Amino acid sequence: MNIPGLGQAAPAATFSAPTIQAAIAVHDLQANSEWRFEVAYGQSIEVKILSGTAEIFGTELAVNHTYTFRGTKSSIFTWHGCRIEVNGPCEEYMAEETPMVTYVNTHFALEKLRDDAIQNGGEGPRVLVVGPNNAGKTSLVKLLTAYATRMGRQPMVINTDSREALLSIPGTLTATPFASVIDVEQGWGSSPTSGPSPVPVKLPLCYYYGLASPEDNTKLYKPILTRLALAAASRLADDPVIKGTGMIIDTPGVISQGKGGYDLISHIVSEFAVNTILVLGSERLHSEMQRRFSAYKTRSGETITLVKLDKSGGCVDRDDTFMQQMQEAAIREYFFGDPKRTLSPHTQQVNFDDATIYKIHEANAMLSSFLPGGEEDNQQIGLYENVEPSSMMLHCLLAVMYASTRDSQETVRDASVMGFVYVAEVDEKKRRLKILAPLNTRITDRPMIWGSWPETTVSLI
Amino acid sequence: MTTEFSDDVAEDYKRALEDLTMNSRYEISNLTVIARENTEHALAISEALKSHIKQTSPQKKLPAFYVLDSVIKNVGTPYTIFLSRGLYSTFMEAYALVDNSVRRKMDEMLKTWKEPVPGALDTRPVFPRDVTGPIENALIKARTSAIQAQQEHTRSQQQILGRGRPGPAPAPYRETPTPPNAYRQPPPPVQQGYNSNYPQQQYPPAINGQQYGQQPHIQQPYGLPPVSRSFPCKFDYTNQEQRPPTQNYIPHNASAGSWQQAPPQQGYSAHDNSIDELNSDIANLITVFKTDFALNPLDGNIQKRLKALLDLQSIMQSQRLPPQQIAEIKTQVAKLSEASKATPKAPKSPTPIPVPAQLPQPNSLSSLLGPGGQGTLAALLAKQTPPIQTRSPQPAHNQPFNPPPVSMVPTPVPDTGSLFQKLLAAGILSAAPATSTPTPNTLLPANISGYRPPFTPIPSRTPLGEIPNDVVLKTSSLKIPRPHLISSLYEKLGAPCTQCGRRFQSNEEGKKKKTAHMDWHFKVHQRMTEAEKRGQHRSWYVDELDWIKSREVEGDQNTNNGDNTNGSGVASSSIASKPKLQYLPVPDDPALASSTCPICTEKFEMKWLDEAQEFVWMDAKKIDQRIYHISCYDDVNKAGIKRGTPEPVLGKRKHEVDDNIAVRSKIKTESY
Repeated sequence: MNIPGLGQAAPAATFSAPTIQAAIAVHDLQANSEWRFEVAYGQSIEVKILSGTAEIFGTELAVNHTYTFRGTKSSIFTWHGCRIEVNGPCEEYMAEETPMVTYVNTHFALEKLRDDAIQNGGEGPRVLVVGPNNAGKTSLVKLLTAYATRMGRQPMVINTDSREALLSIPGTLTATPFASVIDVEQGWGSSPTSGPSPVPVKLPLCYYYGLASPEDNTKLYKPILTRLALAAASRLADDPVIKGTGMIIDTPGVISQGKGGYDLISHIVSEFAVNTILVLGSERLHSEMQRRFSAYKTRSGETITLVKLDKSGGCVDRDDTFMQQMQEAAIREYFFGDPKRTLSPHTQQVNFDDATIYKIHEANAMLSSFLPGGEEDNQQIGLYENVEPSSMMLHCLLAVMYASTRDSQETVRDASVMGFVYVAEVDEKKRRLKILAPLNTRITDRPMIWGSWPETTVSLI
Repeated sequence: MTTEFSDDVAEDYKRALEDLTMNSRYEISNLTVIARENTEHALAISEALKSHIKQTSPQKKLPAFYVLDSVIKNVGTPYTIFLSRGLYSTFMEAYALVDNSVRRKMDEMLKTWKEPVPGALDTRPVFPRDVTGPIENALIKARTSAIQAQQEHTRSQQQILGRGRPGPAPAPYRETPTPPNAYRQPPPPVQQGYNSNYPQQQYPPAINGQQYGQQPHIQQPYGLPPVSRSFPCKFDYTNQEQRPPTQNYIPHNASAGSWQQAPPQQGYSAHDNSIDELNSDIANLITVFKTDFALNPLDGNIQKRLKALLDLQSIMQSQRLPPQQIAEIKTQVAKLSEASKATPKAPKSPTPIPVPAQLPQPNSLSSLLGPGGQGTLAALLAKQTPPIQTRSPQPAHNQPFNPPPVSMVPTPVPDTGSLFQKLLAAGILSAAPATSTPTPNTLLPANISGYRPPFTPIPSRTPLGEIPNDVVLKTSSLKIPRPHLISSLYEKLGAPCTQCGRRFQSNEEGKKKKTAHMDWHFKVHQRMTEAEKRGQHRSWYVDELDWIKSREVEGDQNTNNGDNTNGSGVASSSIASKPKLQYLPVPDDPALASSTCPICTEKFEMKWLDEAQEFVWMDAKKIDQRIYHISCYDDVNKAGIKRGTPEPVLGKRKHEVDDNIAVRSKIKTESY
């Protein structure tokens, strides 16, 4: 059964007629300058590079190709100068001061480490990017990823920020090797679908954490990270190209803002055998990192290189509304695809009795965060609570896990995500759920996890 | 650190250039090789070459231009980028000074710059059009006005010629501002400011003082852009006082390196020149500070200043600033250079440079073409029909560089051959020293072409053709702009795909890849419309173990080019007709997805098949609701056994699940 796509029709309708004459602007960018722009959700602009060279977070744009941007805060940078044509409403300005020289040099410094690694048969640098919220961490990760792929590398990109998804839905932690160009219009690109994709798809490995902040439930967050690190390390061990390139790890801003967070950074550093830490924008964090890691050695005996990088002046605070819209967009995209490509999810009915649903313990989370070091004490409470479907679940997302319903909770926790379903209706009388799944397969033999993140407040259908 | 070597390299290069007095193919090749082997110092070398062209005598300008030409055509980036900066002024200033025969050759050379490098795969012109265009326009403009202006300037030619000649006429400059002087007067305020700002070790002020002594007195109000007026006047009058007019010019020429043929005096564009000077001032200051920085790496002050200077330099190079700002920057730079002089400095390079800057800076043509200066270039063009032959003998200069035995190190000669053949054929180059440009090197042996410039190689040389990358993960290192590295993200990667901007090398392999890539774009477009009708959905994410085993293939580098790309049912039905591509889309049904081949009980090998844009099982075939390895199935069939009874699906699957769990727990135990 096909559900008509949402989200796609609206912008198209708004912009078909009026803007033909309206706002075509041509900007000349000088070398080393940046054109920063914001497009509100529900609006779109078309950008075309008329001449010169230009890149978005490190991905080079093709000349005379029309790019469409929706609901984004982004920037186009040029090393050599360029002329761009912009069609549509957006907030924009030109910036000449950028930290791009530092960033590109960081890339070249990493390139040197990669060359060394390949020569010696070792692992490329495992780079951790830390910094407070809205410091440009993800943008830097994207930039370094794009530069690496442009030079023929295959970086493994790890996202440990459950607030923002990478090729998935918020709430997941992912590992994704990048071998092809990043889709500049769609954030990071798309995970595989049944049809062709104009930009090569990326293949993420997803784990579900299901809460907004890592500190909400470190007892859940840490083992999932460990599992993610293990899978990534196994892939690296198997795959020489990725091994030579190494990893780039994005982190949630919240762990850069306090004691508990620093412990999580230490956890990530040890699990992923991080040997390079890039600190964005925060002096305090830099000195804290120095204190923690100056004498630290990774498992293979490497020391950690710590560098502080300047935050870009283009970083903007994203308010809650924007974050909310971003989340919704990610969810819609998962089920319905992007404007370039409509996907058709399926709805199906599931009996209450057939569904195995685990709810993430939040009370436990509260408890454990007040009990530092109480690792073993709370073990008996369990990770999840096996719950019966209820109207509470309406409009929530459930993560379908690659596990069996008979598996232990730890096994379910450590399993990777098969996909997501959306609870469209709960009929408590008939004891039936109506769910939206990306494709029409039975999912009842899989356990599902019900998290509180992402929060969905509106109906998808 | 390569940055420290840059100065030495530039200096050596400069010296080598100074020895280049004629069209010696060997020397030019040599200089090209040096440039190629030192791409990490491209900026320094380019600057040295440019300043050499500007400063050297008119007779030596053409060979220097041939070096430039050879470097850009044989080495290319990053030199093209560095040398294209200010090419207009470099070219035009030289053009104004040389005689007609050299101009013809420069015209020919310019023509080759508008075309691709001969024999190269790259179809782009040697220099981008926006670099060569302005030069062409200026030349056309100059030529047309030359004819008009010829008449009115014939009268003044006598004076002009006299003035260009320091030898016979010791007092060419007069205080009476006669019209013919209009285009040849330097802008004194700027010059003076420049001199006093210049780092001492390179340009001894005493000499400079002599050199420019007479200039303030021929200052004239017209022919100068208004900009020059805004420059600080204090230099003007103080220097006027310090420097007695006129008399020092000839002694200076005679004593300090008479190898520089006194060039004809020139008019100045105060604005352009002041920027050029400011740029070179900044460059020099940077050099000084870099040395300081190397000596005291912990001195935050030096670090800060160096950073500020580098920033300033990039600003100056990337933008055109209003005159007021330039004036401001100028005073700042002046202050800084005062300060840098005050601080004790490390001994710089042991050998002092032969002070090419003693020469007045060559003209910028823009002043000549500018308002007020109309027709003056024309005058130059007209006037030079009898080429200026004035020169003093130059015995001293070439002696230190007496040629070593001809067969030195067998340096790889770049492919200048074809270029030279071409140039020879076009009459641009002559195999023997050009007769039109009289060579001063009478003291040198005839086999000068075998002569190798005294260039000392640097110990930290990177292998030929490799892009040097000296960045380390340290804040100070990360802040230094390295424009030459940017090219490894752009030009070095080849030309971009018009669809997605991905770049491909222009070699055989790159071309093949690009063809496959374009095919891929085409096919995707085709399939997109089909898929739109069919309806598509998001796939499940892959399982951990499959993910670990999967490999990222470059999305478009698929060797298969079958046309059965519709995935799903089509793929399985096409097996019969197309036995080459035997695969089955991974079943969506998880039960079936975890099944194994009933014959060998092994799992199917999953692979992302770009052709089908989905995950497939290779060598798999669905027969009666069961999936088999085609090879297994064929084997069994060949052996005459009809389909054996497959094991019950459920039991099989359970077995598989257990397997998975076993592996998982194995991984898990490893982790702790």
